Amino acid sequence: MRKTSKWLLALMLVLLLALAACGGDSDNESSSDKEGDKTEDTNSGENTEANEDGIFNIEDFSMTSTNAGDALEDGSLTYGIVSDTVLEGTFNFNFYSAAPDYEVIAWFDEPLFDSDANYAYTQDGAATWEVDETGTVYTLKIKDGVNWHDGNPVTAEDWAFAHYVIGHPDYIGIRYGADFENVVGMTEYHAGETDTISGIEVIDEKTLQITYKEGGPSQITGGIWPYALPKHIFGEMEVAEMMESDAVRKNPIGFGPYVVESVVPGESVVLTRNEDYWRGKPALEKVTVKVVSSATVVQELETGGVDLVDSFPTDQFLDNSDMSNVEFLGAVDAAYTYIGFKLGTWNAETGQVEVDPNAKMADVNLRRAMWYAVDNNAVGDNFYNGLRWNATTLIIPFFPEYHNADIETPTYDPEEANRILDEAGYEDVDGDGFRENLEGEELVINFASMSGGETAEPLAQYYIQSWEAIGLKVELVDGRLLEFNSFYDRLEADDPAYDIYQGAWGTGTDVNPAGIFAGNSPANYPRWTNEENDQLLAEGSSMKAMDTEYRKEVYDKWQQLMVDNIPMFPTLYRSVIVPVNNRVVNYTLDPQSDLHRYEIGVTEAESVVAE
Amino acid sequence: MWKFTLRRTLIMIPQLIVLSILIFVLAQLMPGDALSGQVGPDVDPKRLDEIREQMGWNDPWHEQYGRWVGGILQGDFGDSYRFKIPVSELIGQRIVNSFWLSVATLILSYLIAIPLGITSGRYNDSWRDQLITGYSYIGFATPLFIFALVMLWLFGFTLQWFPTSGSVTPGLEPGTFEYVMSKLYHLLLPALSTALITTYGTIQYLRNEIVDTKQKDFIITARAKGASESRVYNRHILRNSLLPIAAFFGFEITNLIGGSIFIENIFGYPGMGQLLVESITLRDYTVLTATTLLFGVASILGALLSDIILSIVDPRIRIK
Repeated sequence: MRKTSKWLLALMLVLLLALAACGGDSDNESSSDKEGDKTEDTNSGENTEANEDGIFNIEDFSMTSTNAGDALEDGSLTYGIVSDTVLEGTFNFNFYSAAPDYEVIAWFDEPLFDSDANYAYTQDGAATWEVDETGTVYTLKIKDGVNWHDGNPVTAEDWAFAHYVIGHPDYIGIRYGADFENVVGMTEYHAGETDTISGIEVIDEKTLQITYKEGGPSQITGGIWPYALPKHIFGEMEVAEMMESDAVRKNPIGFGPYVVESVVPGESVVLTRNEDYWRGKPALEKVTVKVVSSATVVQELETGGVDLVDSFPTDQFLDNSDMSNVEFLGAVDAAYTYIGFKLGTWNAETGQVEVDPNAKMADVNLRRAMWYAVDNNAVGDNFYNGLRWNATTLIIPFFPEYHNADIETPTYDPEEANRILDEAGYEDVDGDGFRENLEGEELVINFASMSGGETAEPLAQYYIQSWEAIGLKVELVDGRLLEFNSFYDRLEADDPAYDIYQGAWGTGTDVNPAGIFAGNSPANYPRWTNEENDQLLAEGSSMKAMDTEYRKEVYDKWQQLMVDNIPMFPTLYRSVIVPVNNRVVNYTLDPQSDLHRYEIGVTEAESVVAE
Repeated sequence: MWKFTLRRTLIMIPQLIVLSILIFVLAQLMPGDALSGQVGPDVDPKRLDEIREQMGWNDPWHEQYGRWVGGILQGDFGDSYRFKIPVSELIGQRIVNSFWLSVATLILSYLIAIPLGITSGRYNDSWRDQLITGYSYIGFATPLFIFALVMLWLFGFTLQWFPTSGSVTPGLEPGTFEYVMSKLYHLLLPALSTALITTYGTIQYLRNEIVDTKQKDFIITARAKGASESRVYNRHILRNSLLPIAAFFGFEITNLIGGSIFIENIFGYPGMGQLLVESITLRDYTVLTATTLLFGVASILGALLSDIILSIVDPRIRIK
């Protein structure tokens, strides 16, 4: 007996050593990996290079594919949608809700307006717009030669029809909302009181006139619904049945550069050239759009299984940045990550945010110190290799015209954070290493963060440690990361267990931040506002703000206001990375570019394969 | 026999009622719904509340349960919120894929298991037996999802013998010969990956039965009568040894419609397993409840079928 236990002890020791050695090994491995990457990076010819530390900068990426060859007449291209869920199959701008569906629709249909670098509607699209001096009456003209895939012209009637369907009481999609209620007579129609929308008038076959309750710059960055719905196809259907009809799911219709030929539900869509496309002849003979899982996207790209994808997972980029058969394009993404503070509650009856002056996080000094305490550049470099980087203001660089880089925002400075807390009176009374609140009571801040992806856990731990370093005791809500649905459920319900939280917002193409910051918006999750905030937001979308200079001034003030009050602070700006096979021409991520989707072509019959 | 079947069927009714309540209440208890996290600059939060009201998601659970059960009794499982089509149609699209994948897996795994099991049992404790047992232990120990990834990498991406995702090549006309062949081609690799490492149960089952049966008195009798060795094995031992496997078959049927969550996700194969997982993460309640109910019913039916097969095979079961 004694003998065995001795052996057992010896065995345990050996195992322990082996384990320790394993741990050491993996450390060495990862550092040697990095070195390997460095040397390889210097060899890769055309792709963007990282600096010595393996950090990339989004500004080094090209936004447009550099292949300058001539497109083949009968080329075909495979477009991958990186998604771990299947296509839902609602292939119509008026009905879809998921991003993968959008990527399919964009190949065969398009908005009636083109947009410029600021995402504002221009006169270069399939329709033009004019506005009267009150700023509320828009006259929209569809150009001649713009035809649906079945040959019928796109008419003003079709455009009006889209409004009638989305506003209909039986419509179950998510597109109806404040933008539609802004149309005169829409509310009454939506409530079922009237059969017509008084603000919409079809002048002639190609001209539509819409009267809005309020004008402003947001009207031309998404406020006017830019999508038509063919009345000659959907006109006979009940609104409730449209979404499941074949005209949405099996033979979807649009007026874009390609025509849907066949749909394999959930998996893929094959499209062919629309000879009658209004801008000219599309460059490709055939386009196949298919879903690619994020686990296999690298192999698909290397083997030429797909030529390009909608968006490449950033966490896989470093290991694959030297892929020889593709060119990585990059641009600033329309999204940011942030830390929010719960400062009040939502009153559903008044439809207003109610700020609670006694909230745990109510002191702006505490919030500012927390901002100073985190090193977001380090987070961006270590977790995302520089493909996400320190964020400053809440109007993101995706809007170059309005983002103000000159505003000074708190950046990593733990000494400054400590100084602010000391001055404000947060002292460690009981000597446990953590500061107490102003009344000398124990201060524990509850931090809600979502699970998902490999970086979620270490990132949350990093923030907690950073705050601990300035003497703040921060704990995860429930002691763990929260699942996506319950995270948002509790956030929306103002769960008192949340004091601070980490979230992310997509901004869309309208710079107006009122939708998530105004006092009357239920999506204002920090539940903070003040008079100045509401006033600035109102001014920023007023008629006067049609003047870009004035609008810039307003948003400068607003960005400063947010830095002064900190209901939330942005942590990381993001980039979108798109790998494009070397045979692809005319592909661009640049909103300023004049290239259009129909010009995307290929210069070789077969995809280039990785060496 | 009929009495037994009838009794067994009657027990199913309370089972099903309890199952349906459990499924429905548990689904309701999950935080969030199909619209959680949909808020964004293009979507009005008020609109989401309006939809919730419109869809009846704010009603008390027993009212929703009543509507749901009422619908099911009329064969209506409701509409999938996410896909905007009737759930029955959605399941119809997916169950076909899962069914054929499972049939292929089943055939392949029996093709592997039966010869190996027989060899292993007949020559037990020889080097052949040890080799086969070794293989089945490896199969037992290897996680399916890792093995599937390796297979996908090797045969799909490196050698490029098989397609790497989807259930059919895009652009083929349904019903044509090419379409059917493409479907078959797409399910071969996932089916093979599963079959290769999930056969261990059947192999070991068969081996043990054969080893057991070999020593039975009637085999000694058969040998004593002078029956040839192959006759002893094929007529006497094998027949008796396959009986428990036949009984097990009822449960295999359940798997036919259940699909495999791992395999379907790795091979991007749109079947029932994938549908279930997605409906959970995206809170598509109608799909979630319908698929779980379907799986539950299938398990109950599978157990029933197994019991019936067993009672046919083994008359002792029929006695109370």
